[in-house]
Amino acid sequence: MDQPMELLQGTLDMLILKAVSLGPLHGYGVLLRVQQISKDRLEIQQGSLYPALYRLEHQGWITSEWGESENKRRAKYYRLTAAGKRKLQTEAEKWNRMADVIAGILRSTPEEV
Amino acid sequence: MTLWSRFRSWLRAAMGRSRMEREMDAELSFHIEAFAEDLARSGVPREEALRRARIEFGGIERAKEKCREARGLSLVESIVQDLRFGLRMLRKNPGFTAVAVITLALGIGANTAVFTVVNGVLLRAMPFPEAERLFLVSLTPGGGPFEWQPGVSDRDYLAFREQDQAFEQVACFTKGSTANLTGAGDPAQIPVAYVTTEFFSALRTNPEIGRGFLTGEGEPGNDSVVVLSNELWKDRFAADSEILGKTIRIDGLSRTVIGIMPPGFEFPGAKVWMPLAIRINEHNSFTRPVVGRLKPGVSPQQAQAELETFAEHQPLGPGESKKDRMAQIIPLKDLLVANIRPSLLMFAGAVAFVLLIACANVANLFLARAAGRGQEMAVRSTLGASHWRLVRQLLAESTLVSLIGGAAGILLAHWGVQALTALAPAGKVPRMEMVRIDGWVLAFTLGLSVVTGVVFGLVPAFQATGYGARRSLGQAARTVIGGHEGIRSVLTVSEMGLALILLTGAGLMLKSFLRLRAVNPGFSPHSVMTMTLDLPESTYTSASQIRTFHRRTLEELSRLPAVLASGAVNWIPLGQGLVMGTFQVEGGQRPRGFMVDKPCVSPSYFRAMGMPLLRGREFTESDNATAPGVAIVSQSVARTLWPGQDPLGKRISMEDEPKPEDWLTVVGVVDDVKQQGLAKNSEPAIYQPYLQVASTGFLSHMTFVVRTGSPPERVAAGMRAVLRNVDKNQPIAIASMDSLVATTTAEPQFQTRLLATFALVALALTIVGIYGVLAYAVAQRTREIGVRMALGAQSADVLQMFLRKALVLITMGITLGGAGAFALTRVLMKFLFEVKPTDVPTFATVALTLVLSSLAACYVPARRAMKADPMVALRYE
Repeated sequence: MDQPMELLQGTLDMLILKAVSLGPLHGYGVLLRVQQISKDRLEIQQGSLYPALYRLEHQGWITSEWGESENKRRAKYYRLTAAGKRKLQTEAEKWNRMADVIAGILRSTPEEV
Repeated sequence: MTLWSRFRSWLRAAMGRSRMEREMDAELSFHIEAFAEDLARSGVPREEALRRARIEFGGIERAKEKCREARGLSLVESIVQDLRFGLRMLRKNPGFTAVAVITLALGIGANTAVFTVVNGVLLRAMPFPEAERLFLVSLTPGGGPFEWQPGVSDRDYLAFREQDQAFEQVACFTKGSTANLTGAGDPAQIPVAYVTTEFFSALRTNPEIGRGFLTGEGEPGNDSVVVLSNELWKDRFAADSEILGKTIRIDGLSRTVIGIMPPGFEFPGAKVWMPLAIRINEHNSFTRPVVGRLKPGVSPQQAQAELETFAEHQPLGPGESKKDRMAQIIPLKDLLVANIRPSLLMFAGAVAFVLLIACANVANLFLARAAGRGQEMAVRSTLGASHWRLVRQLLAESTLVSLIGGAAGILLAHWGVQALTALAPAGKVPRMEMVRIDGWVLAFTLGLSVVTGVVFGLVPAFQATGYGARRSLGQAARTVIGGHEGIRSVLTVSEMGLALILLTGAGLMLKSFLRLRAVNPGFSPHSVMTMTLDLPESTYTSASQIRTFHRRTLEELSRLPAVLASGAVNWIPLGQGLVMGTFQVEGGQRPRGFMVDKPCVSPSYFRAMGMPLLRGREFTESDNATAPGVAIVSQSVARTLWPGQDPLGKRISMEDEPKPEDWLTVVGVVDDVKQQGLAKNSEPAIYQPYLQVASTGFLSHMTFVVRTGSPPERVAAGMRAVLRNVDKNQPIAIASMDSLVATTTAEPQFQTRLLATFALVALALTIVGIYGVLAYAVAQRTREIGVRMALGAQSADVLQMFLRKALVLITMGITLGGAGAFALTRVLMKFLFEVKPTDVPTFATVALTLVLSSLAACYVPARRAMKADPMVALRYE
């Protein structure tokens, strides 16, 4: 198994939006979901997860409500809002474009320059 | 970020920080426990799992702090922060704060006081259930605010009651009648109302004890019942719980008490209600107010349309035209407040000006301080405070000042309202009992304070923060005032303009009042005492009985010490009423529409009143029922009927179709008198000797006048004793003629005083304002003055420089204010007596006053500048 990578600056918000877009999650669930879909290759600082959740909620991209967890405990669940869905889409496109550009640059050979 | 989510987040923060904190705690501890459980499932011991989970999570407190930041500082929290900081700033400058707070307290307090009265008198609902559905029905010639009291003639009322579809109930009532109450303490004249039996149910207010009137009560033989007000029941009958069924005596008649109204009910200004049955006969020409309660779902407009249709189809009586029936549906409250509304609104307008001036003053103060805080703002904005954040901070400070000012203003208003109610002419302001500082007033003051704080705070706030943004730290440290002076001048000029408008208004009112006071009423009111009484029909049934009473009273009055002359008249000039009517001229024609006042007087009446006899003779004791009829006419009657001829010996008659014995020979001519008020025209009058008048209706209401050589109040006791001798059951009203005159001028006097008070406050604020602007300019330019003087400027030059600046401000203020006054004083038109709203001498005098007092205010700082020592001035910074 690869050593988990630290997150790139500014990608945490996008990952959280993606994670909750697949279904309502509590904070710990977001953490697990990201680890699961990244096959444990990404590591999220737990301490920075909650400020990010609060920020996203304050900005109106996710919304929260209290519900019951798998083990019958009260937990706060986050869900994507319509605005959050649009945000995720534009962020994803931006990310893909950026990744293409960066990849293109890194692939370039001396002849091309 | 959507506005909604931001709002929701604020709202949540506002609902309580502790709830957010609790939820955050719960959420984080859930995370750690869930994590620990997962660890425990993979075989770690429970204690160890929890510890590891905590370590993995990292600093919980730091995460919480970051969460709080991410959520954003709530509006409430930041406002609290702003206010706390503002409070600290204000405490640091107690002098500044005190001046600002006092100025605003004056402005807001005066406004609150006036609003309290406006609210109580004009705005608060009448104390009946669903009072907003009660309306007056009126079919009178209309015109003006109650030149004609709203009302319906009895004939029209009966027809309307049959046909009407819009009202649940209509009831007819009388307003302003009085009656003698005897047998319950001293005899007293009390206000009474005769009402049709639907009256109480139309108002949806039933007696608290007993019952209201039943159908049929009020018909002859069935009308000896009475309902008392709660107050009368307590004052006069010691709240006797057994009073129902007992009889009391009103106007000498026994009436059975059937009900006591709830406390506070006194509509239409009565203490006793008696049943009224409307009967039509050929002599009935009564017009009385009619109140109706609209049916649910019927609008006043529909009722108006119905009434118009009714007026259209109702047959005209003899001598009536369509114009005599103007259909009007009027809110019931207007019956009481229509006359007072214009003057209250005028006060409200005037007092708003005072507040605007106070705002301008405080804005100037804040501007002055803002300049001194340029550096602070520059530092804060450099450290990252946003423009909006700084504006908000300064607005919080100004609002804080105006809120404190508002709180002090409520205190001032409390006294102000007391002063207003004490000064208000007695009986001229209705619904005074409704005036009090209630929730609406407090809400008004709160709103006014906040608006005020924002209004005067906005300009200084943007100015001050503009500094921070525009200037570097280094520059801001130096005081630069150029930009401020412009705004400050604008504020001062508008302040002067507003003050000039108020002063002009007050000046016009004052001039009008002085004119009114100087009016010659046609008689000499000094050293005259009057005693008015109403003889009840029940005891005094015939004219001869009444005449005997009058003669005895007059005889005894003339024997009182220091009495020079005594007389009697049925309706005293400037009193409660008059009898107007038509008459016939022998061998001639009475000009169309020429009606005269028809007083009945005793022989020595003219002497007692000091009315000069212009021609002929006075009445004598021998002008009695057996002698040929005589009359004395007033000058305008003589001039109108017999221009250029000798009126003596001409004959007139008060009857429409005079028989030979009805003709009256004119034996004298007297001056015209002001019967209805000093501001009104003199009424033409035809006087008759009371001994020759047979109708009891003309004789039962009588005012005795006594001219004395000593102060008139001193004979009052003697007059009372005379009346007790003649008939101890009659209540009387004793007043000096001077006080009756004063009563008629009480309202204009009150208006003048109040407006003058506002204008003087405005003047004082303005003078303080212009002084402040100039003093500040001098202080700011000390260095410049030093340089100028070092370069050889004389102190006179410096003085001139500042006075020139002051003169420019004053000229602009006077010009603007003059134009404003010219446009606005016309609202005073209806309050002014023989003074035009654009009276040039008043405008000139007021403007001169303002110029002189402003110059005086400017002279002090300008002199200070003149005396400045160049060395000190240069070292100033």
